[in-house]
Amino acid sequence: MVKVQVKWQGKKFDVDVDTTQPAEVFKTQLYSLTSVAPERQRILVKGGQLKDDTPMGSLGLKENAVLMMMGTVGELPKPPPEQTKFVEDMTDNEVAQALAIPAGLTNLGNTCYMNATLQCLKAVPELKQALDDFQPPAVSTSASASASTDNKRSLVLSLRSLFTQLNESGEGVPPMVFLHVLRQLFPKFAEQDRQSGGFRQQDAEECWNELLTTLDLALQPSDASPSVVERYMSGQMQTTWSTAEAPEEPSTVHHERFRKLDCHIDKSVNYLSQGIAKGLEQKIEKRSDTLGRNAEYTAVSKIARLPEYLTVAYNRFFWKASESVEAKIVKSVKFPLDLDVSEFCTPELQQKMRPVKQHVRNLEDRKAAERKAAAKRPRIDGSSDGSSDGAQASASVSSEKQEDAAPFVLDPELKADVGCNPSGMYELVGLVTHIGRTANSGHYIGWVRKEKGVGGKEPEGKGVPETRHWWYKFDDDDVSMVTDEEILRLCGGGDWHTAYVTLYRAKKLE
Amino acid sequence: MVEKKSTPPTSDDVLNPKTAAEKLTKNKAKDEQDELSEEDQQLVSELEMIVERLKESSVDIHRVALENLNNVIRSTTGSMTSVPKPLKYLKAHYETLIELYDQWMDESNKRALASILSLLGMAYDREGKRDCLKYRLLAGIDDESISEWGHEYVRHLAMEVGEEYAIKVEEYSDNTEYLIETALKVVSFCMKHNAEADAVDLLEELDRHELIADYVTEETFERVCLYMISCAPLLAPPSDLGFLETARKIYHKFGKPSQSLPLSIRLGRQELIKEDWDSCSSRLEKAQLAYIMARQQIHMPELIEDYEDEELIACMNNTNLSKNYLNLARDLELLDPKSPEDIYKSHLENTTVEVTLDSARHNLASTFVNAFVNAGYGTDKLMTTSTEGKDWIFKNKDKGMLSAAASLGMIMLWDVDMGLTQIDKYMYSEDDTVKAGAILAIGMLTSSVYDEADAAKALLTEYIADENSQAIIKLAAISGMGIAYAGTNREDIIETLLPIISDTDVTIDLSSIAALSAGLVCIGSGNSDVSSVILQAMMERLDSELNHKYARFMALGLGLLYLGTQDKYDAILETLKAITHPIGKQSSILMQVCAYAGTGNVLEIQKLLHICAEHLGEKEDQLPQAFAVLGVGLISMGESIGSEMSLRTFDHLMQYGEPYVRRTVPLAMAIVCASNPLVGVLDTLNKFSHDNDKAVATSAIFSMGIVGAGTNNARLAQLLRQLATYYHKDPDMLFTVRIAQGLLHMGKGTMTVNPYHHDRTLLSHTALAGLLIPIVAMINAEKLIMTDSHFLLYYLVRAMYPRFLITLDENLESVSANVRVGQAVDVVGQVGRPKTITGFQSHDTPVLLAHSERAEIGTEKYIPLTTVLEGFVILTKNPEYEEEDESK
Repeated sequence: MVKVQVKWQGKKFDVDVDTTQPAEVFKTQLYSLTSVAPERQRILVKGGQLKDDTPMGSLGLKENAVLMMMGTVGELPKPPPEQTKFVEDMTDNEVAQALAIPAGLTNLGNTCYMNATLQCLKAVPELKQALDDFQPPAVSTSASASASTDNKRSLVLSLRSLFTQLNESGEGVPPMVFLHVLRQLFPKFAEQDRQSGGFRQQDAEECWNELLTTLDLALQPSDASPSVVERYMSGQMQTTWSTAEAPEEPSTVHHERFRKLDCHIDKSVNYLSQGIAKGLEQKIEKRSDTLGRNAEYTAVSKIARLPEYLTVAYNRFFWKASESVEAKIVKSVKFPLDLDVSEFCTPELQQKMRPVKQHVRNLEDRKAAERKAAAKRPRIDGSSDGSSDGAQASASVSSEKQEDAAPFVLDPELKADVGCNPSGMYELVGLVTHIGRTANSGHYIGWVRKEKGVGGKEPEGKGVPETRHWWYKFDDDDVSMVTDEEILRLCGGGDWHTAYVTLYRAKKLE
Repeated sequence: MVEKKSTPPTSDDVLNPKTAAEKLTKNKAKDEQDELSEEDQQLVSELEMIVERLKESSVDIHRVALENLNNVIRSTTGSMTSVPKPLKYLKAHYETLIELYDQWMDESNKRALASILSLLGMAYDREGKRDCLKYRLLAGIDDESISEWGHEYVRHLAMEVGEEYAIKVEEYSDNTEYLIETALKVVSFCMKHNAEADAVDLLEELDRHELIADYVTEETFERVCLYMISCAPLLAPPSDLGFLETARKIYHKFGKPSQSLPLSIRLGRQELIKEDWDSCSSRLEKAQLAYIMARQQIHMPELIEDYEDEELIACMNNTNLSKNYLNLARDLELLDPKSPEDIYKSHLENTTVEVTLDSARHNLASTFVNAFVNAGYGTDKLMTTSTEGKDWIFKNKDKGMLSAAASLGMIMLWDVDMGLTQIDKYMYSEDDTVKAGAILAIGMLTSSVYDEADAAKALLTEYIADENSQAIIKLAAISGMGIAYAGTNREDIIETLLPIISDTDVTIDLSSIAALSAGLVCIGSGNSDVSSVILQAMMERLDSELNHKYARFMALGLGLLYLGTQDKYDAILETLKAITHPIGKQSSILMQVCAYAGTGNVLEIQKLLHICAEHLGEKEDQLPQAFAVLGVGLISMGESIGSEMSLRTFDHLMQYGEPYVRRTVPLAMAIVCASNPLVGVLDTLNKFSHDNDKAVATSAIFSMGIVGAGTNNARLAQLLRQLATYYHKDPDMLFTVRIAQGLLHMGKGTMTVNPYHHDRTLLSHTALAGLLIPIVAMINAEKLIMTDSHFLLYYLVRAMYPRFLITLDENLESVSANVRVGQAVDVVGQVGRPKTITGFQSHDTPVLLAHSERAEIGTEKYIPLTTVLEGFVILTKNPEYEEEDESK
């Protein structure tokens, strides 16, 4: 009998070795101590491994000699049933699909204005739905509606197929057909540069407007019901004309549809809301019937209906006669990610919207409180009583708020109006930006917000909290992802990409 | 006879070029005017009178006159800036006096005159005459007379002794004894008057530096040794080693084993090491020596007489390295594992998209980063702790799985007990690649520490010997052996490797790696068995085989064999000339480069620069040039001025060199500045990292990693993040950037890969090899590191070592002591007791030491057993300190 020490996993075991027995017996002894199966044991003795049939006596073990054992208890690691698929093994298409990054549009020669516009419009799911539902009317009967209607119809059809293609593809899609149709319909987009012979850059906002106008007409299911564009993307403006020169004259009120708000930019405008306010008030000289002469009238516009999707266009370009170009105002105009337009609405509408607005606010407060509580919770566990008191207090506050928020009544009129924004609260979902000094030069890029849980996984590692969003940057067929910070940098004030058209969407009510 | 007030070190003592020039102009002015002041006039006439008297024939008058003359010369107190007046005015009579000397017969007078003539000989030094020495010899030399004319005189005399000796040597004259005798008097004088450097220089001129040992005292030996050691790299062989030997002898003589041991190690002579060991007065001192030896990977258990002394054996075996490293980590609060993402900090990168899919490239980079960052900590977030850990290996592709499994060896580094357990479960894997990784991991795990069970050999030999094992498993086992037993010179290991090298049926990749492993095991030994087997293999292999990308490691194996041996490779070089395949040339250059590694030998560097400057045709093999570039770095790295010059040279090579030279330049810079992130070097590399030639950029990025390895340098981290943004679309480059980031944060910033240690005096051969192998692989990164041979990066494990200072008490338990840490100052040849560090801060041990930093003990309470505070230092209680304490 010799007493030896066996080291295993940093522990030492004392074992009495019977030197007359083979190593197998020794291994069984170790099995009872360590529960490592004998066939898994590797015992290292002076540069060699102990074999099962080696007699222990032949090792010449000394009293208290140290042996080392290797061995694992339990399951051995197994390869996962499904082999990991690596990016390196995939085609570009597969990669994009796996990442669920939407496809971009190939630039067909100065067509970025169109690509950016299309990507932004694609962010309006209702529009896409309407395109899918579009039934081309059977052969049009009247001869008058021949050519132009046909063109409009083919525009809709080509747009539909383009959007479908974009959803299916992983790589850049060349919008050949659509571009062709567009140029047929609007010859100005086919303007060519005399020197180079290529097509010219165009104004993205113009493209935006023309497209929506065409779609408005083409997608109208019947004369009675409004089109999707009218429903979801157009509002009602109430304009009041009055003049200070004839105060007794009753002011005239007009109602008109609008598809975009203009943001006027001058020296005093630093924020989007200032610019919108400027756009809603204008002075015009016109003939006054009561005075019998021309007088200066003030036209004050108030919004009577807010659409679900609100387009705000920035009047960044002005005609510079001296150089005969549409020059750009580079001034920085800060736009918010969350926009409240109720101040520009008619008092009646404001009245109707007030409870809804409150509801939306409560909703947000509640979410914030939940987040706070969730962030606090892990800390409470190990901390002292004092902080948990505080947590309870905050919890009670949030529960009170919940009670406040519960009842709210949606104004029946608003409820009936499908596609309106009942709260007056908007969030930014898309932008078209421009870089360069004139409208017909430079480069346009589309930016579309990525909805949480839609599309691919959120990129890891950047630590974007729940309150913030990722954005797709559609630089023609090069699509990448950026954060809110990057978006807020698009406010202008330099030669960086500058917001030109912004698309806001009504905040969700639940 | 001579008053012993001995010329105060005034007037003639301080002649320097400036005063000499002044003297000249003054003389001219005087000549023109020829008007002397009354006082001078008097002196001139007095001297004239003395000379007149000397001309007379009476011996007695002569004696009196000589004494007068002596007095006149001695009593002048001229200004510091001019020649003493008597010497000036005596010039006219110099020839007369010489003639008189020849005429005289009286011995004592002759001697007295000779003494004066010797002084005058110095003042009117004439080319090639050496009058000073001549008359000194005639006047007789003894301890007193040698110094009678003061320091400047002695210095001049020393110079003439040197000159005369050189002439004698040229004439093959053996009659130099009288010179030695004179020199020894001079030396003795110098040593008494704080002029140790002069004494050493004189003896060096006479090739008798060993004699200095007889003249050193308790007060002077430190300074003498310091001077001699720092001279050594600047001397031509064999004086360089001779200097070290003498210095070692002096330390030994004064009972300083901890100081003589490093020199014995540098000399590479085991009998000296044994002598040092035996001269230790206490067991603790032996323990200290054991720690120094363990750091240099010298394992001589036979020195320990008492086999039961486990503590001492543990010191020698480096067993506690892991434990102490973890203690350090605990003190610095570094125990929490870090994930690769913590290193990349990609939220600070300005990239837009991150791939959320599994990219094999990205995961492989993470595997390496994870391994480097958590090296030695035993825990990490991918392989050990995470519940998904078991899957991580399978998130790698092909050879990536090998590297992933092998990363366990890096993470568990030095902790043999726990490491084997962690690795064990992958040893049974059905996937050969994983199994091979586990095998390599075992090799890494046991590097730098010696375990009694000899785990690596026990586990790996069976795979090498087994005919049936897969090539990849064999490959891993062979390289694992090399890593585990580097520098051990073990016969049994070599015996397992040699058959693989020589057997031409074995594939060339296995054979090459085996040659590399054999070179590692016998590093710097010049083992002729191994070299002949490797040479044989090179000759027998087909050219097509030798074109394999691994064949260069066969050449490198041969080079490592001769690492630091200087000129012992001539026979091999001749044989290599017979090999027609380019590998012959590769090998011969690698061998020269390795043989002179760290010596700073300027002639060798010049040879290499010639090779670099050649413009090769397209068909010619480019590798020799690349190796030559590396060689410039390797040879010059040993010494600070040389390495600075090499960095300048690299700039030229970068501008005018061939593509292969250019891609190697950053790597050579990495060798020179490993773990030493100098701002200038970082800037240069950063510039290269944007080079149009992708290969240049790749090696520059990798070099940035090596230069910053284990430093956590914030500036470099920033540069690398910028590069990650810049190259985010290029997977190859991004991979390299990631690796560099991992290297930068190696061991969470506690490691170094610089092969120099012990106050940058000792070159660890194994560490140098560990650094060199990945760097050689990086020359053709596109064929090796970037494709399937990334495991070569793991050779770095041999270069990795904690850059800590841990103080131990008399029971070898770690104890906290106050130390000052600051930039090292070169104090060689400075007078008094100059400060050895500057800009220091006080810390309590354990502390980390950056490159070129030095520590000194900051408390009176302890006395360290070694002068170089690095690694493990044993402190003994200062007995005086306690007395003081009691008196309070």
